[in-house]
Amino acid sequence: MCLEDIIRVIKGRRCVRSFREGEIPNEYIHKILEAGIWAPSGGNIQPWEFIVVRNRDMIDKIKLVSPGLFGDPSVIIVVCINLEKAKRGGRIGESMAIIDVSMAAQNIMLVAYALGIGSCPIVSFSKTAVKELLDIPKYVEPILLITLGYTDKWPNPPARRPLEEVVHYEKY
Amino acid sequence: MKNTNIVKDPHFKLLSFLITSARGCIDEPQLYGSLRLIDAAARLIDIMMVEGKTTEELLNLKKAIEENIVLVMYDEKKYIEFLDRLVKDLAKIIKSA
Ligand SMILES: Cc1cc2nc3c(=O)[nH]c(=O)nc-3n(C[C@H](O)[C@H](O)[C@H](O)COP(=O)(O)O)c2cc1C
Repeated sequence: MCLEDIIRVIKGRRCVRSFREGEIPNEYIHKILEAGIWAPSGGNIQPWEFIVVRNRDMIDKIKLVSPGLFGDPSVIIVVCINLEKAKRGGRIGESMAIIDVSMAAQNIMLVAYALGIGSCPIVSFSKTAVKELLDIPKYVEPILLITLGYTDKWPNPPARRPLEEVVHYEKY
Repeated sequence: MKNTNIVKDPHFKLLSFLITSARGCIDEPQLYGSLRLIDAAARLIDIMMVEGKTTEELLNLKKAIEENIVLVMYDEKKYIEFLDRLVKDLAKIIKSA
């Protein structure tokens, strides 16, 4: 394992909001999703479900109801929580499920980046409309869209709050 | 009647954007209301372009919006400064009309 490569991928991943055309091979999509399911989850409940949208017309329809989605991605992964499964986490089940799918989402974006594919997580979309468009059942809740696509424009890294500001050793 | 073409109609696209934004804005950060409005403005200029109603000044406004819109996510101060410039440019267009 090469630590430098991991750090390079973590630091190099950017939110891409401008894509060029280019089909993402199925084997890449498979690798990306596999990274998703290897995320940790509370109680190993794995409350996630992923809907992979590659159909151009459907991508355009999702764009219509997603004000926070910029650019023309080749693929949209709708990251969902299965509420039935999340229930197994007790009263904190749903909030824990959000943490779980977030970890899966990060894995997905990191592996996409390692494969040369740009991505962006999007929370600004209409869940109601996406549920209707994709026939998502009541017990499944879409949480995040992840756009995927090739790009010629990797954005500059936005500033991070420095370690000194956000890290507290031993006590706050 | 199933209207498959409506989803490609630029006015309908703007309409969908406005309706879903109206709902989204209730839960989202306050500044995102401004973001959606300025995004809608750029989309409106697109429509005006198709209808042959744009001028060079309007296209410059659209270019400025496209170049600066993401500032809202990275730098609030610069985003507001950009909006101030945009309003000034708009005022110049109105003044010279
Ligand atoms: C939970 C979450 C929701 C986000 N929603 C959106 C969104 O709706 N639209 C968008 O363009 N970016 C969205 N982003 C991307 C952030 O704006 C971006 O991660 C942040 O500005 C840092 O940029 P970087 O990821 O390139 O380092 C979201 C990110 C996260 C983690």
